[in-house]
Amino acid sequence: MHYSVRHTTRFQYTAPISESVTEVRMQPRSTEYQQCSLFRLQVRPQARLFVYTDAQQNTVHHFTQPGVHQQLVIVAESEVLVYPRPLLPERLPNDAWVQIDDSNAAGAHYEMLIPSEVTAPTDRLAQLAKELNVARRGDPLSLLIELNHMLHRAIAYDAGSTRVDSPIDEALHHRRGVCQDYTHIMLALVRYYLHIPCRYVSGYLFHSRTDTSADGASHAWLDVWLPTLGWVGFDPTNDMLVGERHIEVAVGRDYTDVPPTRGIYKGNAGSELAVHVRVRMLQGAVNEDDADATDGDQTPVYRSTAQQLHARYAETLAAIQMQQQQQQ
Amino acid sequence: MNAVGRVTATDDVRFAAYELDDAYDEMFTPEGVPRPHYSSLFDRLLDLSPAELEMRQQTADLSFLHQGVTFTVYSDARGTERIFPYDLLPRIITAGEWETVERGLIQRITALNLFLHDIYHKGQILADRVVPFDLVYSSKHYRREMCGLDTPHGVYVAVTGTDLIRLTDGRFAVLEDNLRVPSGASYMLANRQVMKRIFPGLFSLYGVRPLEFYGQALQNTLAALSPASPDETTIVLLSPGVYNSAYFEHTFLARQMGIPLVEGRDLAVHDNTVYMRTTAGLRRVDVIYRRIDDDFIDPLIFRKDSMLGVAGLFNAYRAGNVTLANAVGTGVADDKAVYAYVPAIIRYYLGEEPILPNIETYQCADPKERGYVLANLDKLVVKAVGESGGYGMLVGPHSTVEERETFRSLIEANPRNYIAQPTINLSRAPCFLDGRVEARHVDLRPYILYGKRVTILPGGLTRVALRRGSLVVNSSQGGGSKDTWVLNW
Repeated sequence: MHYSVRHTTRFQYTAPISESVTEVRMQPRSTEYQQCSLFRLQVRPQARLFVYTDAQQNTVHHFTQPGVHQQLVIVAESEVLVYPRPLLPERLPNDAWVQIDDSNAAGAHYEMLIPSEVTAPTDRLAQLAKELNVARRGDPLSLLIELNHMLHRAIAYDAGSTRVDSPIDEALHHRRGVCQDYTHIMLALVRYYLHIPCRYVSGYLFHSRTDTSADGASHAWLDVWLPTLGWVGFDPTNDMLVGERHIEVAVGRDYTDVPPTRGIYKGNAGSELAVHVRVRMLQGAVNEDDADATDGDQTPVYRSTAQQLHARYAETLAAIQMQQQQQQ
Repeated sequence: MNAVGRVTATDDVRFAAYELDDAYDEMFTPEGVPRPHYSSLFDRLLDLSPAELEMRQQTADLSFLHQGVTFTVYSDARGTERIFPYDLLPRIITAGEWETVERGLIQRITALNLFLHDIYHKGQILADRVVPFDLVYSSKHYRREMCGLDTPHGVYVAVTGTDLIRLTDGRFAVLEDNLRVPSGASYMLANRQVMKRIFPGLFSLYGVRPLEFYGQALQNTLAALSPASPDETTIVLLSPGVYNSAYFEHTFLARQMGIPLVEGRDLAVHDNTVYMRTTAGLRRVDVIYRRIDDDFIDPLIFRKDSMLGVAGLFNAYRAGNVTLANAVGTGVADDKAVYAYVPAIIRYYLGEEPILPNIETYQCADPKERGYVLANLDKLVVKAVGESGGYGMLVGPHSTVEERETFRSLIEANPRNYIAQPTINLSRAPCFLDGRVEARHVDLRPYILYGKRVTILPGGLTRVALRRGSLVVNSSQGGGSKDTWVLNW
């Protein structure tokens, strides 16, 4: 499938700010299953763009805007070819667990196996694990497919119930959340209760009417490492395996490794974030409804007073003093 | 054993309280005879009246006060800046002893740099199972952001302050590798300055190797790591600020090198280049001698709440547009649990036997070794692996039951975070205390500079546990220091 993606982000500040430094992870990855054939990034105020590849092979753009400004607009446009993924076997042999353990013992994907900041186990996670009977049994692949399904049913989709980087306990408490929560909870379960390496994937979904997740925004799912198969994508939000409608942008231990934007600025101002994502099919049957429903970049579909994204350079003397003393 | 009878062969009341036992004594042989390189000092001490010595001590103290040579004790509720206690008598090391120390340190720092490069690139030593991978990856100071990054000339640790101690047989051994932001060089230099004024005659008679070139050597080391050409290089010292315990040192070293002393807010990053705000506008910065911790250097990449760092600095560093000394992520190699593997690291990269021995170390992460540690808390020294400065430490023989119980639960809760070592009877050196000469435990922190080549300052900071019987030399824990003489002979 051939898609075009337009991802618009607007930060509106409550007061003029300056010296902003921003990192952007929005360029779709080129992997076995997809090819990013075009990527264009525009930012206002204008800035010179720099790029690097991080340890997970994600492409990161970054730029600085020293002058005084009150709004930052980032428009990322890409074209991506997504290939069909090979059909998965119905199940893996039961001794696949042994292969997983051998691989773990050799240190492979170590950081995708230990709890990350957001996916650390909690009492509520233990409760859920008990309810869903999350423990090694049968073969890993069928177990993961079952878990993907059970998690989809255990958590209700509720846009706006949590923030993007909420700890899993918030979603676990109310059993409501968005795609990041489904993903973080499943990462925590798979890492902690099944001891299988798995990673957070941020990306986009070409939506169909039946999808649970909200259109017009970024999406998230997880890759689980399985012997002989490699990274296999699970999308618990929509109770499906990752396929030709998923466009992969960045992978990390959890959301905090791969936010689409990360920035710091100087100025005593809050910020309001508006994001819009539009995914269109370039060839083949175009789903007119989807295209129409989500067109119009000017309508923000996701709002938050996102101080956690654009951290404020607050200057409290006591805090500075404390930090100065923390240095060895 | 009471040594009074032996030492007072000279029949001098000043040595009446001088202890000689199993600990190696820097000045006396076990028989109570001054070692040859200490005999001139010994004679001089007998010449001087206690009143004269007292006067010289006061002159020295006053000089430190006037120079503002201070440090801050955090746990002290008064939050006071204190004069770093200075002991009048030099600690003397012969050329022969120093030669071994120097070779040992060069070997060790060379291997540790190779280790850091390896773990942040191919990780061959981990694949070969010489060092356990989880020990490295779970270290509090491992920085995944450094993977694949290249540092100038492959140097990670430009400035090292290795803590050496002397074993009872007189051999020097390594207690800790300080590879992050080792401090104390300014005290070493200040001690020397004062010493030359207090004992000018004795000093020139002895043939002591000079230290005064430290500032120049540090500057050359930093310049050698610059991405710009040496004569166009701007070097700055990045300090956390005035509340930091080592702020005196930051001002002192910046002045020695003639480079600007800056805080994070004085720097800004634009278009992947670091600039310093000056009265004449922005000026490009090429090398940052940073004295703040990894976590705080860039709020964009590391701790978001850091108010000490510079947003965008790490990306400029990644692009090779600025050098950070020391490099980010060096702390993984001075993690106290990784320390136990340094001899293996030396053999692995250099194919040599370690010249300076390690202290035997028990890993609490290992169930068997943990069992031994928990059963022997009253005999061992327990240390938190990621801490420094004598914080987070239990000295078993000097601990209370409550302290041991606290550590027992700490270890059981997080075994990876603790190691234990036998309590080492550090060597003792003569100190002038209350009008008498007494023996106190000492260690030695030499400074190693690594730019294009390795430079080791002849000497270092000798730290003294001023409390009688104490084995803790850290300034934060009531330690003092003395001048260290490395002789030409």
